[in-house]
Amino acid sequence: MSLPPRLLRRLLAGRIPRVDREWVLRDLDDLYAGRSARLGRRSANRWYLRQVGSFWLRVQAHRLRSGAATLTDPRLLSEMLSMDTLIMDLRYALRRLARTPGFTLVAILSLALGIGANTAMFSLVNTVLLKEQPFTDRHELVEVYTSEADGFPHATSSVPDYLDLREEVDVFGAVVAARTFLARYDRGDRPELAFGELVSWDYFQMLGIPLTLGRSFRPDEDATPGVGQVVILGYGTWLSEFGADPGVLGETVTLNGYPFTVVGVAGEEFTGSIPVLSTGFFAPLTMTNELMGGLGTNQYDRRGSRSLFMKARLAEGVTLDQANQALGAFSRGLEERWPETNELRYMTAIPVSEVSLHPFVDRILVPVAGLLLAVVGIVLLIACANLASFLLARAEDRQKEIAVRLALGSGRGRLVRQLLVETVLLASLGGVAGLLLARWTLDLLLSFQPPLPISLSLAVELDGTVLAFTAAVSVVAGVVFGLAPALQATRPELTPALKNELGRVGKAGRFTLRNSLVVIQVAFSFLLLIGAGLFIRSLQKAQAIDPGFDTSPAAMVWPMPELAGYESWDEVVAYFRTLRDRLLADPQVDAVTLASRLPLGSEFQTNSYVIPGHPSPTPDGDWDLDDTTVMPGYFESMGIEVVRGRAFRAEDLEGERVVVVSQAFVDRFYPGEDPLGRTISYPGSTDPFRIVGVARDTKVRSLGEAPRPYVYHTPWPGFIPGMQVVVRGPAQAPELLAVTRRVMDEVDPDMVVFSAKTMDEHLALMLFPPRMAAFLLGVFGGLALLLSGVGIYGVVSHAVARRTREMGIRLSLGATARDVVMMAVGGGMRLVAVGAVTGMALAGAVTWLISGYLYGISSTDVATFLAIPLLLTGVALVAALVPARRAARVDPVRALKSE
Amino acid sequence: MAKETLGEFEHHVLLATRRLGPGAYSAAIVEELEEVTGRDVAPAAVYIALRRLEDGGLARSDLRAPPEGGRDRRYFEPTPAGLTLMGESRRRFEALWQGLPAGGGER
Repeated sequence: MSLPPRLLRRLLAGRIPRVDREWVLRDLDDLYAGRSARLGRRSANRWYLRQVGSFWLRVQAHRLRSGAATLTDPRLLSEMLSMDTLIMDLRYALRRLARTPGFTLVAILSLALGIGANTAMFSLVNTVLLKEQPFTDRHELVEVYTSEADGFPHATSSVPDYLDLREEVDVFGAVVAARTFLARYDRGDRPELAFGELVSWDYFQMLGIPLTLGRSFRPDEDATPGVGQVVILGYGTWLSEFGADPGVLGETVTLNGYPFTVVGVAGEEFTGSIPVLSTGFFAPLTMTNELMGGLGTNQYDRRGSRSLFMKARLAEGVTLDQANQALGAFSRGLEERWPETNELRYMTAIPVSEVSLHPFVDRILVPVAGLLLAVVGIVLLIACANLASFLLARAEDRQKEIAVRLALGSGRGRLVRQLLVETVLLASLGGVAGLLLARWTLDLLLSFQPPLPISLSLAVELDGTVLAFTAAVSVVAGVVFGLAPALQATRPELTPALKNELGRVGKAGRFTLRNSLVVIQVAFSFLLLIGAGLFIRSLQKAQAIDPGFDTSPAAMVWPMPELAGYESWDEVVAYFRTLRDRLLADPQVDAVTLASRLPLGSEFQTNSYVIPGHPSPTPDGDWDLDDTTVMPGYFESMGIEVVRGRAFRAEDLEGERVVVVSQAFVDRFYPGEDPLGRTISYPGSTDPFRIVGVARDTKVRSLGEAPRPYVYHTPWPGFIPGMQVVVRGPAQAPELLAVTRRVMDEVDPDMVVFSAKTMDEHLALMLFPPRMAAFLLGVFGGLALLLSGVGIYGVVSHAVARRTREMGIRLSLGATARDVVMMAVGGGMRLVAVGAVTGMALAGAVTWLISGYLYGISSTDVATFLAIPLLLTGVALVAALVPARRAARVDPVRALKSE
Repeated sequence: MAKETLGEFEHHVLLATRRLGPGAYSAAIVEELEEVTGRDVAPAAVYIALRRLEDGGLARSDLRAPPEGGRDRRYFEPTPAGLTLMGESRRRFEALWQGLPAGGGER
C-alpha cells in the first residue's frame, strides 16, 4: 500500500484535533492508497495536499460554530493575524530584494549552487541506497543468502536448494527467487541484447509488487521446465518498445528464438530486483535453460549452479533468530545429503530493510556516499557563509533604519522575524534555482556512464523525498544563517546608530562575525581543494600504472554465439575459427587473440584449485584463484612476457593439460623454487594441470591491486567458453574496430555482440572511479574556491566602501595610492592566511579517510599540500585586489565631504 | 444535545454508516458517499459530521482492529436516538413525496 509523502502527512496532522489525529490520519492513508492506485501517485498527492486546507478550514469553522472558539479567540486570532503579518513581511522582503537586484542575484546563485549540488548528490544516494522497493509489509521480508565454501556469507543460491527450502522450511510464509539473464531479443532486422529476470511464479504476488496491466504468473506456468512461455514486461520496455499500448497483452515477444506471450506489465515504481538496473522482461524461473542460452549446460536443475537471489516472508510470529536457526538446520541437512555441492554452504536471512543493493556492495557504497554528501555539505556551508556575510553587510548598512524603527517602538522580535523572512525567502528562491541546477547536474552526472556493456539505468528522479530534503535544507540554511545577522543588526545601540557613527572605523582585519565567516570559508575551500588535488594526482598516477600488458591500440569484441542460435560446441568452435582466420586474412590486421577473460575487464572469474603441499586456511583447503582461458598466441599478442618456461603452443589444445601461471602465483606458492613441472588441479578432479610457464604479472581486477596469483588455461578440446577477441594491427583503434565489425558481419550477420570497444575504452573502465573522483572533487573544489572568492571580494569591497572617509584622510596626509590599496588587501589577506592555516590543519587531520581510494600517493602528498595554498592565495589576492583598487581612486576632498 | 432534525450532509453520513454496517469507518464512509452520490466528498466534512453526530448522541464509535488485521480503526454506528431520527426523516420525506410522479422531480 502506498503511503502519502511524510512531509504532507505531518502538515495535515497539525490540522486535526489531537484526540482524533491518529485514526483520522490512518483513514486518510487508506483513502490516499485507493486514490493512488486508481489515479496515480501524483494525483493522490495533489488530493492529499488539498485535504490540508480543507481540514484547517472545516475544523476552524466547526470550532466557531460549536462555540469552542469565538472570532476573538486569541489562538484563532493570532493564527489569522500572523498569517496576515507574514504576508506583509513577505511583500516587504520581496520589495527589498528587488531593490538590490545585484545582491539578490549573487545570493540566490551561490545558494543555488550549494543547494543544487546537495540535491543532486542526495537524489543519487536516495535512488541507489535509500529508496525502498514497493513491497508490502516490508518489515516481514528477509533476504536469504547462501554462504560460499570459503566463508563469504552473502552469495547466491541454486534452484534445487530453493525448491527444497520452499518445501521443507516452515518459518517462512513464502519464499521467492529471482536471477538475471541476458538474452537475444529479436526485433527489427538486428538482434539486440535484452536484460531480464527469471522469477518464481509467485514473485509479484508475494512481494506485493503492483502491475500496470495484466496478471502475474500462474503456478502451472512455473511448474515444468521449458513450458511457461509467458513474460511480464518491465514498465520501461512497455513504454519504449510498445509505446505504452494498453492492448499489449497477448502479444508475442521473441527471446533467444522462443516466443513468449505477454501476460502483464510491471508497475512503474518497480524497475526490477536490482535497484540500479532496469529489467526489461520477467519470465518464469522454469525458463532458465531457454533464456540463459547455456548450450546444453543445465543451469536449472544443478544444485551447484548458484545464481538465485531469494526473498522470504517470515511466517506469523516467527522472529529473525528463529528463521536463521531453521535456515542453519536446513542447510546442514542439505550439506549431509549433497556433500559434493553443499559442503560448508549455509543460508542466512537478513531483513530487507538492512540491505540496499547487497550487503557486500553496501559496505563499499555507504562510505563513498557519506563522503560525497560531506563534500557537497561543505560546499553548501560555504555558500551559506556567503549569504550570512552579505546579510551582515546589509544589516550594517541598514542600522540607521533599524534604529529608527526600534526607537519608534517596534518590537525586536518583530524586526528579527522580518529579517528572517527575508533570508528564508532568499534561501527558498535559492532552493528553487538549486532544484533546476540539480536536474541539470544529474543529467550531466548520469551522462558519465561507466563504460560497461549494459547501460545502467539509474532512474534518478527528484521525488518527494528529495523535494522534502531540498526544502528542509533551504529553510534551515535560511534560518540558521539569517538568525545571527538578524540578531546582530537589531542589537539596541541606538544612539551611535542614529548619529551615523557606527562602524565607520571597522577594519577588514578585525575579528568580527563576518570576518570569521570568511575564515571558515577559506578553511573549508582549502580542505575541498586538497581533496581535489589528491584525487587529480591519484588519477595521474593511475594513468601511469603499468598494467603489465601491451596497451597499444587494439579492438576488442565479445561475440555471444550461445545467444545467437548456435546449438553445439562444434558450431561455436567453428565460428571462432572462421572469425579468426577471416580477420587474419584482412591486410589491416596483424594479430588476433582469443581469451575468455581479459585483464582489467568487467568480468570476474575464479575457480577453486588444489595446490599440493599448500592447503589454504579456509575450511575446505582449496584456493579461489582468478583464472582465464586463452588460445595459443595470447601472450605474444597481448605483449605479456613469459619469464620462465614457455608460452602455449598449438599442441597444448590436445593431450596433456598444461597451464601458465603468473609470477605472483610463483612468489606466493613456490618462493625460491622452480615451479615448472609441478601440478595443480581442480578439487575432486583426477586430471591435473602441469605448469609449463611463468608469465609476468598483469593487473587483473583493478589498477591499484597488488600482484595477483593468476592461472592461464587452454580450452578443453572441442569446447570453447565465451571468448573475447582482441585484434591488433597498424591502423588506429577505431578503424580496427570498424574492420573487425565488418568481418564479423561477413561471418555471421546475426551474431549477438555483448560489447565492442577499443583498448582505450577498455582501460577507461578501470580509470572510471579515479576519473570520476577527480572530476567531482575538482568541480566541487572549484565551486568552493569561487564562492570563497566572492566572499573575500565582498568583505574587502565592503570595508573599502565603509572606510572611504578614513582613506581620504590618509591620502590627504600624504599616503600613496599604493599604501591605501595594500592596506585594504592586507586586511583581506590576513583572513585568508588564518583560514588557510586552519584548512591545512583540517586537511591534515581528515584526508586519511580517503587514503583507501588513492592510487600511488599518500593522503598527505607533499606536492598537493604545496600547490593548493599557492592556488588559493592567488585567487584570494585577485578577489581582494579588485575592490581594493577602488580605494586608490578615492578623491580626498570628496571623501571628507561625504558626510 | 437533543436535535430535532438532521443537516442534509449529516443525514447522508448517518445513512452511509447504516449501509456499511460493521465496516463503517471514515474512509469507507467517504468512498461509499462518493460512489452513491457520484460526487467528490471532502474527508474533513465527513470527519466534522461524525464528530457532531457523536457529540449530539446520534452516533457512537469504538476503536477496534479491522477484520483483515492491521492497526485499529474508529468504527461508527447510529445510536438508537440516531436511528429514530433517521426513521422520522424518512417518513417525513416519504409523506412529502406522496402523490408526486416517481423520479419526476429530479434535476
